[in-house]
Amino acid sequence: MEFVATFVVLASTYALLAAGIVILYRASRVLNFAHGELAIIGGYVFLSMTGFAGGSLPLAFAGALAVSLVTGIAIYVVVMKRLTGQPFYVAILVTIGIGILLKSLIIIVWRARATSIPIGSGTVLTFASGARMSQLDLATVLVAIAFYFGLYLFYRFSRLGIQARGTAENPLLASQRGVNVHFVLALSWAIAVLGASVAGILYGGRALLSPQGVVVGFSGLTAALVGGLDSLLGALLGSLIVALAEYLTIQYLDPILGEAVPFIILLLAMLLRPWGLFGTREEIERV
Amino acid sequence: MGSPYLKTSYSDVNAILPRTYQKVLVTAALLLLLVAPFFASNFHVHLMNLGALATIGALALNLLTGFCGQISLGHAGFLAVGAFTTAILVVHLAAPFWSVVPVAGLAGALLGLLVGLPSLRFRGLYLAISTLAMHYAVGYAVKSYQANIGASATAGVSIPDPVLGPLVLSNDRVWYYFLLLMTGLVTLFCLNLLRTRLGRAWIAIRDRDIAAEALGIHIARYKLLAFVVSSTLTAMAGSLTAYYSNVVSADEFTLELAVTYLAMIIVGGMGSVLGSIFGAYFITLLPFAVDALFDMLPVAWRQGVQLVGFQSGAVGVFIILFLLLEPKGLAELWWRVEIYFERWPFKYRPLEPARR
Repeated sequence: MEFVATFVVLASTYALLAAGIVILYRASRVLNFAHGELAIIGGYVFLSMTGFAGGSLPLAFAGALAVSLVTGIAIYVVVMKRLTGQPFYVAILVTIGIGILLKSLIIIVWRARATSIPIGSGTVLTFASGARMSQLDLATVLVAIAFYFGLYLFYRFSRLGIQARGTAENPLLASQRGVNVHFVLALSWAIAVLGASVAGILYGGRALLSPQGVVVGFSGLTAALVGGLDSLLGALLGSLIVALAEYLTIQYLDPILGEAVPFIILLLAMLLRPWGLFGTREEIERV
Repeated sequence: MGSPYLKTSYSDVNAILPRTYQKVLVTAALLLLLVAPFFASNFHVHLMNLGALATIGALALNLLTGFCGQISLGHAGFLAVGAFTTAILVVHLAAPFWSVVPVAGLAGALLGLLVGLPSLRFRGLYLAISTLAMHYAVGYAVKSYQANIGASATAGVSIPDPVLGPLVLSNDRVWYYFLLLMTGLVTLFCLNLLRTRLGRAWIAIRDRDIAAEALGIHIARYKLLAFVVSSTLTAMAGSLTAYYSNVVSADEFTLELAVTYLAMIIVGGMGSVLGSIFGAYFITLLPFAVDALFDMLPVAWRQGVQLVGFQSGAVGVFIILFLLLEPKGLAELWWRVEIYFERWPFKYRPLEPARR
């Protein structure tokens, strides 16, 4: 049962990232290549916030989340808003540019220092089944579940969530029915960056934060793709698949190969089922 | 020959440099490039060489992405294949320079064919992702090769200076003329290619693939050809780069490198040969320019500042700025100046003449 605990924790981190990628893709058909950078910088911001907040973790957490919301809205308002109507690759390239910028920010502001976030992993809990998890691990899983449940409630029942779904389906019609499309899209960016930041903070609690850590973004991307780029449920399932494959490879095959696992899965997914497990088939532009 | 719009013969339509002043400008630029090493310092010659190598890669990427519209995040993978084919041939077979570079190109062509296959199924986003997957597959392969032959991860495989007949390419100045010749040939090759059936087919596919197919263009064949031509050139550039730097290391071929090449064609101008050259030099020289700017600051300000961050950040800033403000890149800026003087003293907007 030990391994179930390990891989579920890994999957939770990926799921938080994949959720953001799916939200952005659904809302504006933008595939965010800067998600890993956003996650890692979220971790670093939290690190700095603990300094400002004088060691009070809840305060630091609130501060980091506020920064992430502002970052998300800023990215939309300053950059992405101007890209409406441009060819799809422009948006991808811009997110790559944002990624480079964020990574250099990590180097400039935080000196690219590899550090972990000193939130401690808490006491180790032993479950009846024999699985052992630290409190931090448990928190990671619970946060991911809560995030997904919150998203489900938001998109299913809230007025704004329904507006967001309408915008995703047809922005022009939505705006003609009185939906403030720009507000909805800015909100999508805010939520996505929030998820990434939380993932980054939890990741930093267990592993070292460093500019190299941005590759987690690709695990999240793969998870989102495997599940289907426009399906939140798919993102959750995709995260489980990617995490399981990664865990098994590192454990039983070759630790160096572990890094390449997301991309092997990516290749397989592109070959077998490019629209993902739950994605809409029409989404793919076939030739 | 008076107006850029009045064409009286087919050779006018196809002329690479239709205007007299363009011929004068290009000749002057070439002469300047030929005599430059006599005045430039060693370091500047080295920078020019880096720019020339990047130009070949950028031209190749622009053929694929700018002209055929197939976005590729796998450019570093193609470069890696060229570089490591060189390493394998030199280390295990001690193959001579003149045979290694074409073989590297051949290896690139094979990989290009393989990577081009998904382009027959997907376009757009999903194609970009599949080239990304290829990038990591190649990255893993070259890393394992490097680990297998026992080269240390940081030092890489060392490549001796190439010998070409009586000429040993060791000096940066000798390299300069060699690379100038190579870059010139590749530029001419690209310009000529774009005037042929092949180039026109690529542009048609980029602009609207369904319409292109209706015109009788075999889309699958031409798309694969775009990948093959682009990856051949890129692999040869990778091979030359390996010879020039005397070392091949798997760590060089990161996703950042692929993005750097994309940055070159974005900043220079998508779908423009001139833009590829501008962009390649611009992005290559950018980190050194940032470095030079920093040296002008007072010492007290510079202390403890992470220069690397500013150097890479500048690339990111320029990608975003050009995409937002000048999507056609430096080439468009240059053409605007050109048109201004061409029209002077009139200010009317010209029709769109075909620019490359």
